[in-house]
Amino acid sequence: MTFFAFLLAAFDTRNDSDLAERLKRRESPAMEELYDRYGKLVYSVIFRIVKEAAVAEDLAQETFLRIWNRVQFFDHEKGAMGPWILAVARNRAIDYLRSVDGRMARKSSEFEGVMEHPSAFVNIERDILNSDRARLLREAFAKLTPNQRVVIEMAYYEGLSQSEMAERMKQPLGTVKTWVRTALKILRNELEEAVTT
Amino acid sequence: MSTPDDLRDLYELYALGVLEEPERRRIEEALQSGSAEAIERLRQAIENNAILTASAPLLEPPPGLRKRVLAGVGIEQWWWGWIGALAAAAAGLLVAAFYLGNQVSQRESELAEARSQAERLIAQSARTNAELARLRHVLSFLNAPETRLVTFGPKDPKPPRGRLLVNPASGVLLIASNLPPAPAGRIYEMWLIPKSGKPIAAGLFQSDEAGNAVHLREGAVSAGAAVAVTLEPEAGSAQPTSTPLFVAGL
Repeated sequence: MTFFAFLLAAFDTRNDSDLAERLKRRESPAMEELYDRYGKLVYSVIFRIVKEAAVAEDLAQETFLRIWNRVQFFDHEKGAMGPWILAVARNRAIDYLRSVDGRMARKSSEFEGVMEHPSAFVNIERDILNSDRARLLREAFAKLTPNQRVVIEMAYYEGLSQSEMAERMKQPLGTVKTWVRTALKILRNELEEAVTT
Repeated sequence: MSTPDDLRDLYELYALGVLEEPERRRIEEALQSGSAEAIERLRQAIENNAILTASAPLLEPPPGLRKRVLAGVGIEQWWWGWIGALAAAAAGLLVAAFYLGNQVSQRESELAEARSQAERLIAQSARTNAELARLRHVLSFLNAPETRLVTFGPKDPKPPRGRLLVNPASGVLLIASNLPPAPAGRIYEMWLIPKSGKPIAAGLFQSDEAGNAVHLREGAVSAGAAVAVTLEPEAGSAQPTSTPLFVAGL
């Protein structure tokens, strides 16, 4: 199954609202459905970050436990379930990397008040993972230079700040900031151009 | 209030939690001011982040993960356990009643049977309630904002490994895997090891058949302490009597 075919099958967002409502009512089949819909993606994202199967399994379990515990705060009418679950999964994995690397001083969970709380995912396009925009953004990503791609991957899949990237790459901070800013600008411009043409 | 040009490209980093000062504070100020443009940029950044995060190559999860996830939220253990227990209770009592109505001569023995069954079910239900209460307590600990994460043994080729969630004011939660069930007559004991002084016993626990264990030790945790786990006699020990299976600094 191709990536996009999988997404189309997995993210039937018409039912996400109903699914969230049933999770809030603590219906057992809803949790099974949640796993069947998002389990593969959650595991894949976490594995991409931690690169270790047993750890990814532990963190995927934690992700679903957190979703189960916090779904009461999720707005099932306006919220986007997929982006919320992905943010929780990514934060679990980045927290783990930071714990292993001794980078505990700046945990992603410190920031979750804004970026992981279910309320942050209100008015997000529910079908975003299936959208044309998703395809365009991935195509635009392929157009980045190697350095631009590396810094973006460091931000998304390693949770590194720009200072940490500069240290890792042994490059001046200003250079790294330029790569990051240019990369994000290219991604955004590609999207805007596609929308206006 | 419009977003300054130098901040426009940084909302994705802000939403990922990797943006540093002073840009992070400036975006927060823009958001707190209620700037519609800032809010819209953040919304788009969250969407872009979801798309880019989801572009990881797809892998098949291990076959046991689904069951583990469902058991982790208590669906298989509690809900179906309750239905099973109630169904067994109803069936058992119906059988007992029918039997008593038709065989008066065996009344006393059947009554004893029914009473014994009821007592067993009451005991089972008390255990279930206690387990439920314990796990609810664990969940409230996990959700406390002060609780932070410590990982141990991630690079060890051998078990055990897992995580400690530490809340200096209220305790330590151990989540371990690859911890085989303790042999007969033995039990796992957790220890808090202060910077100076003897280890402090922090409770007994068992792992399940899959090698998973969850143990919460309540109470304040001193700064710089470490956590260790040893295998001890079933009644527990006042001080460790075996080599620690692992030691994790907090």
